Amino acid sequence: MSNVNDPQAASRSEVRQWLVEHRPADWRDAATHEAFVASQRNWFAKLVDAGYAIPHWPAQWPGGGRSLAEQKVLYEELASADAPRLLLSFVSTYHAFATLHECGNDNQKARYLPRILEGETWCQGFSEPGAGSDLAAVRCRAERKGDVYVINGQKVWSTMAQYADRCLLLARTSTESAKQAGLTYFLMDMKAPGVTVRPIHQIQGDEEFAEIFLDNVEIPVSERVGEEGQGWAVAQATLSSERGLTLMELGYRMRGALSRVADLINTVARHDDEGVLRDFGALTGQVEAVCALADQFLENRMNGLEQIGDASVVKNAYSRALRAYSALGVRLGGMAAQYRTPITYGDLNSGNWMADFMNSYAWTIAGGSEEVQRNIIAERMLGMPREPKNWVLA
Amino acid sequence: MMISREELRDSARKGLGSDGLMPPADQSWERLVEMGWFAMAVPEDHGGLGLGPEALAAVHIELGRALVPGPAIAQMLAIDVLCSVPDFAARDELLGAAIGGQRLGLSLALHQAGTLTCVPDADQASQMLVLGPDRIALADIASASQNATWDETRRLFDVEIAGQTVIANGADAHDAYIRALSRLLLALSADAVGGADAVLDMSIEYLKTRRQFDRPLALFQALKHRVADMKIAVVAAEALLWSRTGDAVSLHDLAALKALATTSFCRVAEEAVQLHGGIGLTVEHPCHRFLKRAYLNAALGGDADHWNGFAGRVALGQQKSN
Repeated sequence: MSNVNDPQAASRSEVRQWLVEHRPADWRDAATHEAFVASQRNWFAKLVDAGYAIPHWPAQWPGGGRSLAEQKVLYEELASADAPRLLLSFVSTYHAFATLHECGNDNQKARYLPRILEGETWCQGFSEPGAGSDLAAVRCRAERKGDVYVINGQKVWSTMAQYADRCLLLARTSTESAKQAGLTYFLMDMKAPGVTVRPIHQIQGDEEFAEIFLDNVEIPVSERVGEEGQGWAVAQATLSSERGLTLMELGYRMRGALSRVADLINTVARHDDEGVLRDFGALTGQVEAVCALADQFLENRMNGLEQIGDASVVKNAYSRALRAYSALGVRLGGMAAQYRTPITYGDLNSGNWMADFMNSYAWTIAGGSEEVQRNIIAERMLGMPREPKNWVLA
Repeated sequence: MMISREELRDSARKGLGSDGLMPPADQSWERLVEMGWFAMAVPEDHGGLGLGPEALAAVHIELGRALVPGPAIAQMLAIDVLCSVPDFAARDELLGAAIGGQRLGLSLALHQAGTLTCVPDADQASQMLVLGPDRIALADIASASQNATWDETRRLFDVEIAGQTVIANGADAHDAYIRALSRLLLALSADAVGGADAVLDMSIEYLKTRRQFDRPLALFQALKHRVADMKIAVVAAEALLWSRTGDAVSLHDLAALKALATTSFCRVAEEAVQLHGGIGLTVEHPCHRFLKRAYLNAALGGDADHWNGFAGRVALGQQKSN
């Protein structure tokens, strides 16, 4: 990556030096989810001060206005310095920002954007028990009563909602029109009466997601984004806010973490086992291909050449490689991988192999499941016909 | 000289694509000579274009895509070896002739012991290069007998050689050998990427056209998902290929590429035959030609087990020293 022709050499060395001085070395030591969240808040504040927290925001913001090439450098360096990922603030700086920036009114922008930099966090209230891959099937109701909307329903898979101050809420204002046309977008205060949050206990022991129960929650009309019925369009702005940089960062982190597999191979004395060496070699090729794909994706984006479906290809390639990575660790770990050990919060390649393996499902399921991505690739990239809208079960 | 990847691809596709799939061998050989492709990677002070591995990859992708028959990979490697060994008496003459299309033999097998195997079109060459890790020789071909392969786009021969002249020894030979091996892996990988891409396109078209149960097969999600996975495999292999065309690429980087690209081509070609149904297992449809070329590419130049093992061993050593 870094060579004499690197046009980003200056910013790269600046970031690198800063990370040497400021990277918290102990971020993997958090014993509880709460401790991890606290360390995330600290880390975000440091990045804000240094001007590295919001490289994709406009230049009027401190640290904003950086080109995609500069952002790429930042994430490359964060990954190679093994700095903590920005999990707690991710929805705030990407999803909430993109939504407000593109669709929010001046009041909303002025009120909420500065607070994000002060550490206010957002969660996303999109998915529901009956609306996962089929997001437009949202049923959570919003009824207009004078100056407020009254919200009733349930949201699920909301990342770190138990720590969020505010929520990007997609709710149904009409059941008359087509599925998408009946949706409206709101900014909800998580401390409003009627909001109950319950963390979801994941199979590997983390609580990264939560359910949100909404019981007659009142949201002022001024907190509506866009017009009534425009929620689907606003949600598209939210969902397209970040593509590529995260996968590149994660790919680089997985490449760095190949050393964990190497260590494991040595620990279990399989370094002369030709079959193991082959599997490890094949894994390195798979991981390198993911990194090359993510690089190519960003390069195309910078040159305005991104095509529909490209992001889906990168996501599936990454999530499959992550599964293969952790599965090889589980296999080689043998019994040692089956004994429970405390999990490492915020690390997808922790070397706690069963935990990593189970965590990898978050990547084949969340953010548009592997199957939904395949549909996008087949239908929108390769032009295979879409299924008819209304199936009748025989 | 700077030519962009896109320009190379377009010119290669234009030059070869007009002849359709599996064009006659002699005709495409003439085209390769006319278009100056054998001079592409030759340094400018030897009268070539001085283009690097990226250009080679672009051309081999198109050769694979159109299933172009003939010994182009061996010829380009032989030319490259002639350029990278120390000067010797007949070098310029040999080089000029090879660039002009006179066939110069070279084995595409990884390990050589006794009879030289896998020498493409050795019946049309009078001389060949014999490559070893510490010795490179120019030899006369005494006899050549074809070992017909399932892939009819390649003609491979077992060769008996007569007189040999050593043209490089020791470190010189070693450097040239590693370089040739690296380029062989790159060429086979690129050929695999081109072939996989072509047979994938063919499969998608077929699924869109073929109707059963009153609908195109392309409507079935079970098939869409398989096609999407094929697409991911091809795009990932191609991205890895381009990331391995830089100047500072080492043999183990190409090792993992060769294993991944040729394995992906095999999987995609297998799926293509299956997705074509009955017609896929007849010679009326060209699917099988991709399948056969895919498996030959996988076997030539060391198979995936060999190169994955190599990559794994190197990665383990590297990681340990970190």
